[in-house]
Amino acid sequence: MRRLILTASALAIAATLGGAALADDDDETVTAWRLFVADHSAPVVKVIDALNGDLVDTFTVKGPAALHRSSSGATVFAVQGAQGEVNAIASGITFHDHGDHADIDVDDPELLHVHIDGAKPAHFVELQGNIAQWFDGEDKVRVFTEKAVLDEKLEMRTASVGAAHHGVGVPYQNHVVVSIPNPDDASKRPVGARVVDFDGNAVGEDVACPGLHGSAGSGSLYALACDTGLLLIRQEGDAPAIEHLPYAASLPEGSSSTLIGGRGLQYFIGNYGPDRILVIDPSEGENGFKLVQLPTRRVHFAVDPIRPRFAYVVTEDGQLHKIDVLDGKIAQSLRLTDPYSMDGHWNDPRPRVAVAGDSIVVTDPLNAKLHLVNAETFEESGEIAVEGKPFNIVAVGGTGKVHAHEGEGHSHDDGHAHEDGHSHD
Amino acid sequence: MTMTRLTTFAASLIVITLTSLSGAAQAETERLSVVASFSIIGDFARIIGGDAVEVRTLVGPDSDAHVYEPRPADAIALARADVVLVNGLAFEGFLQRLVDASGTSARIAALSDGIEIVHDPEGGHYHFSGGQAIFHAAPDDPHAWQSVASARVYVENIARVFCEADAEGCAAYEANAAGYLGELTKLDEEIRRAVAAIPEDRRVAVVAHNAFRYFERDYGVSFLAPQGVSTESEASAADVASLIREIREKRASAVFAENIADARLVEQIASEAGLSLGGTLYSDALSPPDGPAPGYVEMMRHNVETLTRAMTGG
Repeated sequence: MRRLILTASALAIAATLGGAALADDDDETVTAWRLFVADHSAPVVKVIDALNGDLVDTFTVKGPAALHRSSSGATVFAVQGAQGEVNAIASGITFHDHGDHADIDVDDPELLHVHIDGAKPAHFVELQGNIAQWFDGEDKVRVFTEKAVLDEKLEMRTASVGAAHHGVGVPYQNHVVVSIPNPDDASKRPVGARVVDFDGNAVGEDVACPGLHGSAGSGSLYALACDTGLLLIRQEGDAPAIEHLPYAASLPEGSSSTLIGGRGLQYFIGNYGPDRILVIDPSEGENGFKLVQLPTRRVHFAVDPIRPRFAYVVTEDGQLHKIDVLDGKIAQSLRLTDPYSMDGHWNDPRPRVAVAGDSIVVTDPLNAKLHLVNAETFEESGEIAVEGKPFNIVAVGGTGKVHAHEGEGHSHDDGHAHEDGHSHD
Repeated sequence: MTMTRLTTFAASLIVITLTSLSGAAQAETERLSVVASFSIIGDFARIIGGDAVEVRTLVGPDSDAHVYEPRPADAIALARADVVLVNGLAFEGFLQRLVDASGTSARIAALSDGIEIVHDPEGGHYHFSGGQAIFHAAPDDPHAWQSVASARVYVENIARVFCEADAEGCAAYEANAAGYLGELTKLDEEIRRAVAAIPEDRRVAVVAHNAFRYFERDYGVSFLAPQGVSTESEASAADVASLIREIREKRASAVFAENIADARLVEQIASEAGLSLGGTLYSDALSPPDGPAPGYVEMMRHNVETLTRAMTGG
């Protein structure tokens, strides 16, 4: 399914240009956004056009999936922990970044033939095209590239994680940062992190990170959450380096165990107890922590990749909150869904939030729909009905200019975008 | 929030009015609150502003503005600033989002406004879409500060925007600028004398990225580079092979590392071309205070001395 339509002026260029073409003002601006929605209990991933609500495709997988999109947006991964399987879906929307601009191609989404099987797949981390898929039931983390996935020629490298445990790996070109299992009981939370290579060697000293759980990237910086603060990982020269950033002494007792990373601005947001979140600017050290009190317990949160000043939190009272990252405050709140209590199983169906262009999208699994909120006005702008229990969600897309090509009517196939505002996430 | 687009603008500054942070805009002190996008502009701002300004530099010493990732603290600083000084010519790729995020109402001045721009004939690149080669032009080289003539324009623009923001301090800003322009005149003469002492057939250097075209235009030293204007773009094997051929054809005399770029690429080029590394040039950032290029004048002197030493075998 294609949704790019060129105007007559762009088609005229397509008809007259030969060979190399200069990007110019006649290029057509195109916006394309897709939502990938996994069902809470059914083994499906649905692809929905975020701009008009149309169902683009439905992919059948083995079981209910946690979804992760790569930073490029080219691939969406469906991690099915209970089924021991990870599937990869080509989003159909790909960007080619050239520094001064990005190009976009829009094609049909596709369930790729590569899949990764293993014992209890869990944390998924992608960094600059390298992917580390963690398996709670295995003593090795598997590392591969997004390019290999898209080429459907998976080449897997593994790095030792000591013993099977619920941990995380952060992939770099020749190394992986891995969590260190608790030496007394690997079923407990990890106790630290170390840099390892693919030959089984540790690089540098182990770094303590008691209670390690939660990780996120923001630009070139990656963070792991600990009971004592964050571990910040940067690539320095050939190998990643780990630095500990303690929580500010001014903070009340607590810690983060779930992180998300800013896009467009380098920051992190973590939970800090059930009804508070912590906005962290690592560049400010001790002064870089802002605690935000929520009215009720947090259900889910996401950053806004288009408007980097803002992030969004859904709370169990059914409200969506707009968090001002600079002020460290709730800027606006909007009642959106029925209450979803955080009592009960951690994986009960509850709302999840993603940002698709100018829409904040909130899943409402018990009412079989997605709520759309206008990110500028912060008012509900519509709903999309989705059969079943729409649960986990990621969004892929952006805006740019489409070049017309000689001899091509340029239906919807070959979008090719430039971004002045560079709004792809 | 209103989207504001930064472009080169005729009046050398634009005033943006957006929703600003509570309690922002006016600095806590009487001093003019200035944000400079990168270290070279920060140095100019401190010299022209003197004690009357408080300068925060976003992209610090030895750091690369091409790949800078702004922080919330930067947005907060912009929100509180009276004046924001930027290079322009699409050098600060991070800036638009930062301005939007900050909601700043500061004067934003693009200091390259009014310079004689180097239109880079190779500025841009081809890529392929739908089987067609598409050329994306990036025609304006942003690295204008490598020409002292351009630096003079930067200084004049800073003095003007400071005067507009703080009329009472204008006389001091203009006096500081006049003094510094005198220093720049001497620096320009120094560079010309130093380059004149290099044999003409030795005035070809190899660097990691095309940051020295303004220097090339004004002073007659040629620079070869495997990459485009931005350090974000990686040199391909074909680019490197092509550069090696060019190095041999043009008989380049030395290869130089850059303070903001990984030296591995130029080391590889030097090794393949049979040349040695002639030292480190400061392209897009100053050194830390204890380094050889803590200010603009020192940076230009260091670069010329490094070039001269390597090219004359001295």
